[in-house]
Amino acid sequence: MIYLEVKLPDIPGSLIELIRPVSLHGGNIYGVLHHHDKKVKNMIPVDIWFELSEELIQISLENIKKDLIEKNIQITKISVGSKNKILTFILTGHVFDTDITDTIKRLDAKNIKVLELHAKFTEVDEISSVIMKVEFPEVMTKIELVNEIEKICEEKKLFLIRS
Amino acid sequence: MCKGMEVKICLIGMGNVGTSFLKLLKEKRENIVDKFNFTTKLVAIFEHDGALINSNGIDIDNLLRDYSNLRKNQYWKSNVKAQDLISKLEIDICIETTPTNPDTGEPGLTHILEALSNNIDVISSNKAPFYLQYDKIKNLADKMGCLVKFEATVASGVPALSIKHNLIGNTISRIRAILTGTSNYILSRMTAEGVSFSVALKEAQELGYAETDPILDINGYDAAGKLVILSNELLGWSKSIEDVNIKGITEITPQALDLAKLDGYVIKHLAIAENDILLVEPRLIKRDSPLNVQGTLNIIELQTKYAGSIIILGKGAGGFEAGAAILNDLISIVKERERINRKRS
Repeated sequence: MIYLEVKLPDIPGSLIELIRPVSLHGGNIYGVLHHHDKKVKNMIPVDIWFELSEELIQISLENIKKDLIEKNIQITKISVGSKNKILTFILTGHVFDTDITDTIKRLDAKNIKVLELHAKFTEVDEISSVIMKVEFPEVMTKIELVNEIEKICEEKKLFLIRS
Repeated sequence: MCKGMEVKICLIGMGNVGTSFLKLLKEKRENIVDKFNFTTKLVAIFEHDGALINSNGIDIDNLLRDYSNLRKNQYWKSNVKAQDLISKLEIDICIETTPTNPDTGEPGLTHILEALSNNIDVISSNKAPFYLQYDKIKNLADKMGCLVKFEATVASGVPALSIKHNLIGNTISRIRAILTGTSNYILSRMTAEGVSFSVALKEAQELGYAETDPILDINGYDAAGKLVILSNELLGWSKSIEDVNIKGITEITPQALDLAKLDGYVIKHLAIAENDILLVEPRLIKRDSPLNVQGTLNIIELQTKYAGSIIILGKGAGGFEAGAAILNDLISIVKERERINRKRS
């Protein structure tokens, strides 16, 4: 997650000027906070937080900064990834016969916390599917996380579809 | 290579793609003379069991009136092979459109290497030679000073490879793409209608979107081959199909697609080139992602350093689509040859 604090002039359209480069360079915007109460000399502090593809984070962030500077938008603070990261994935196969509790515990042992789990069943003998949202530590890369899940999938013959 | 403004070509393989190319060549003949100042002379058409050879030029109009009678033509020679005759004919450009053996790249690979060895520029719509022996073909072309173009191998008429000429001042850091219309059609139908994989596949076959043997499409091998060509051409990599981690879509269930919807996702069969890694696998992508295209469409997203995401989208298969890509390659080669010749003189 990227947290960006800027100062925008209190004029129509200025928020769009902030959002456009973030979106253009692949930012998935989670929230925007407009601090009207903290307006000084017609400038309003604005916080925006968004996600960037982990692999492209440096390039994309540099591009966003460059675009904002070109638009004379004053950046007051940037912080990257102060929270744990989240990945959503689906497992298909004999998810329950192979002990879903064990799967969750094994992820937990690697500090990967399951935040949400939804399941779809058909017949008892048929394969089922679960979608899981997990939180993983800042120090762990997405590739490392996927490797951990894939180890379990290989052993339990489950099929992984990740975001 | 181009003598005056007459370019001598041979066509190897007169199936759907080869025939569509000839139809386009006929249709655009005057336009090519007006705009690009050259004419083409088709001196040979090779098929698996013989060839139509006429050094004075094959009458394309006449041929296209009834090309099922190719073997009854007075210039037809049975039991001759392209690889034996390429060196003996006076040809500037060899156009290779034979059906590919996905594991060996033959017979296209031999045709391409033979043409290049004989100083003949090459255009091909065959993927396998390029995802199996990319370096070998490119190195030979460089050594012989030949041009080799293969736009039709990836996403057919979509300018997936030639776009690199418009991005030479930029840097491409990642490719994400949907490169198989069949698997995209199946997943789109499963998502929209909740039907099973086998029902969606049967429907795709009935509509002519999937081959009778669709295995190369649904197991991801076809997309992997195209991804290799894309990454080698656009990212400057030197990969072959063995370097791709491939997962197919046969394990995808309607239940998995329903679960994906719960969180605003869809499942797409993506081909990804990033950080020196090549992957073809089903992935969850957000429903509002530009990659969420429906039906048989192909889409290629290039993540660039200086212009963000660039997307090209279009029909990734079809005779005329591939034929148009070949014609484009033909015009490009002639223009490039002219430029090279001007430089030399």
